[in-house]
Amino acid sequence: MRTSLNEIKLIDEHIFNNGAPADAALFDAMLVLDPGLAEQVLWQKKAHAIIIQYGRKQLKTEIASVHERLFDTPEYLTFRQRILNLFK
Amino acid sequence: MAQQNNFSSATNRKELFIWLYKKAFPAVAKYISKKGGNFHEAKDIFQDALIVYYEKLVNGSINLNSDEQSYLMGISKHLWSKRFKENIKYAPFNIGEDVFIEQDNLTPSSDKLLYYLETTGQKCMDILRAFYYDNWPVTKIAEIFGYSGVRSATVQKYKCMEKIRETIKERSLAYEDFIE
Repeated sequence: MRTSLNEIKLIDEHIFNNGAPADAALFDAMLVLDPGLAEQVLWQKKAHAIIIQYGRKQLKTEIASVHERLFDTPEYLTFRQRILNLFK
Repeated sequence: MAQQNNFSSATNRKELFIWLYKKAFPAVAKYISKKGGNFHEAKDIFQDALIVYYEKLVNGSINLNSDEQSYLMGISKHLWSKRFKENIKYAPFNIGEDVFIEQDNLTPSSDKLLYYLETTGQKCMDILRAFYYDNWPVTKIAEIFGYSGVRSATVQKYKCMEKIRETIKERSLAYEDFIE
């Protein structure tokens, strides 16, 4: 794996705290010596936040389609009536 | 971080959500109704509770078949109470760091950035979602996304992360509040 990809792997291990102890110690030392690396950690955390945001958005769409199926098709009529009766 | 899970396709997730809806939504809807809420509020609360539940499930905090109804009811009550107390327009995905996984300083600009990433790098976003959000096993990711094996799928994960990270860095100059 090329160097830049290996750096991404090490940053992930740092963020999730799941690297080998020796690698983690070395990475902490590199962070002190290389301000650019600390900046890359920050951007990678932002990337993770965006991926979570994307995952939730997609999941929300999947759940909405399940809701539509339950409430807009004849298949689940009894279930639908049971729920809607609660709000009459 | 990752654990083996059985939701490694949209179809499996759909079945899971139908099952959870049938199992837990009647009780949640009854509760929201008793509290004066309407059907749409019950739907919004329950759907956010499902997201919280799913995230706990795939990150290994809870197991399937461990009293889903009580768990979803507990989350829903919390979300309803928070909404009621705050008396604000309901805002999905921003309803309490004690319930949802912490987000890293997301701003309105993160929506624009996400839209940009969706339109320019959908496949990478899907791969990264599978790895980091759904916690699918890497063998499954390799199979679903058509990689020859675990190693090439893993390399692709890091290539995608590099691409997304660099795009975020570049675009953040345009969306200034994202870098605050």
